[in-house]
Amino acid sequence: MLLAILAADEAPKEVVNPIIPEVSEMFWGGLSFAALFMLINFVLLPPVQRAMRDREATIQADKDAADAARAKAASAKADADDEVADVRAEASAVVDTAREEAEAERQRLLARAEREVAAMKEIAEEEIARDREDALLQLRPQVADLAVNAASRVVSRPIDANAARPVVDRVLNS
Amino acid sequence: MIAVDFPSIQNLVEWKNIFGDGTFFAFNKIGLISVLALLIPVALFLFAKKDAVPRGLQNVTEGAVEFVENQVIMPTIGPDGMRFLPLLLSIFLFIFFGNIFEVIPTFNMPANARMANPLLLAILVWAVFIFVGVKNHGAKYFIEIIWPPSVPVGLRPLVGLIETLSVFILRPFGLAVRLFANMLAGHILLVTFGWLCVVLFVPNALAAILPFSFAMLVLLTGFEIFVSFLQAFVFALLTAVYIDSSLHPAH
Repeated sequence: MLLAILAADEAPKEVVNPIIPEVSEMFWGGLSFAALFMLINFVLLPPVQRAMRDREATIQADKDAADAARAKAASAKADADDEVADVRAEASAVVDTAREEAEAERQRLLARAEREVAAMKEIAEEEIARDREDALLQLRPQVADLAVNAASRVVSRPIDANAARPVVDRVLNS
Repeated sequence: MIAVDFPSIQNLVEWKNIFGDGTFFAFNKIGLISVLALLIPVALFLFAKKDAVPRGLQNVTEGAVEFVENQVIMPTIGPDGMRFLPLLLSIFLFIFFGNIFEVIPTFNMPANARMANPLLLAILVWAVFIFVGVKNHGAKYFIEIIWPPSVPVGLRPLVGLIETLSVFILRPFGLAVRLFANMLAGHILLVTFGWLCVVLFVPNALAAILPFSFAMLVLLTGFEIFVSFLQAFVFALLTAVYIDSSLHPAH
């Protein structure tokens, strides 16, 4: 059985050249091929090509839509970037303005404080000078007395305090 | 002496008629394979769905169509050649399914290991490329082959003779013989090793060759599947080349 599949059971009675084609085999081959070509040409291939064309069109449409969406997204991103840049510039300007204003306020406050300090210092100096003057005025008679007493001891005789007053005043004033 | 009987070449390629003995429509194994080479592609195309997302059989049919479009027509004729798609696809499928029965158990015979189908297809291709040449260029098609204008006048008779022989005789002869001889050689190899696997299953020293024969049978079966495809591809490709040469004879 197995050998019969691989080769015919018995050799054909008429020995013919295997290269010479059999008319009956050509008949069935021609008929089959003609039928295959007709069916493929008119029945089988058109729907397959239509499905392939439709798919290609769908893919192209999807691709175009994706490209359009990508372009739109890029444009939106560019707009957003511009907006962010504008906002950043605005924020930077606000910060600069605030910084300048703060600096000006600081300078103003500093100047006022310096002025106040200077005024306070002037008042204090005037008070000190006045107090010094007062202290000198209060001490002057005692110093004069002390100087007259000391001088009378040095010279070992009494000195008139009133007579010596102009001398003492002159020394103290110098 | 130890020996094995081997069937004659006639036993390998000639088959008893199933019906119609002695008539022009006598139907044997080759006729049956030819009819199956018609029915199988038809069934594939009929049962394949035509969905937007291809699955299963649809991949096979669309793969075949795209293969012929992209690997046969585009590299040879170009986009102009798409009108020949039905013809080239039919040739490719008919030859491939005619060949593949070489490795299908119980058939074990390629239809194209007989001269009938290769010769028939070669004559068809011959007629098609001459028709295309005449349709596109009229009588100039023959004149340019017989009296090639791009060749020096002194050489034209010789080159014209060679071209005429090459185009009108050798092309169809080459197409037919290439397919027939390749498939017959493959068939003989497969039968040889298949036969050896059966007859060497004996309790004597010859059985030592059996594993080698079996390995070769497996190897050659795979190789012949590839050859079945390759021969169909080559035949379709050469058909496209010949059609292109008729469309653009200057090339």
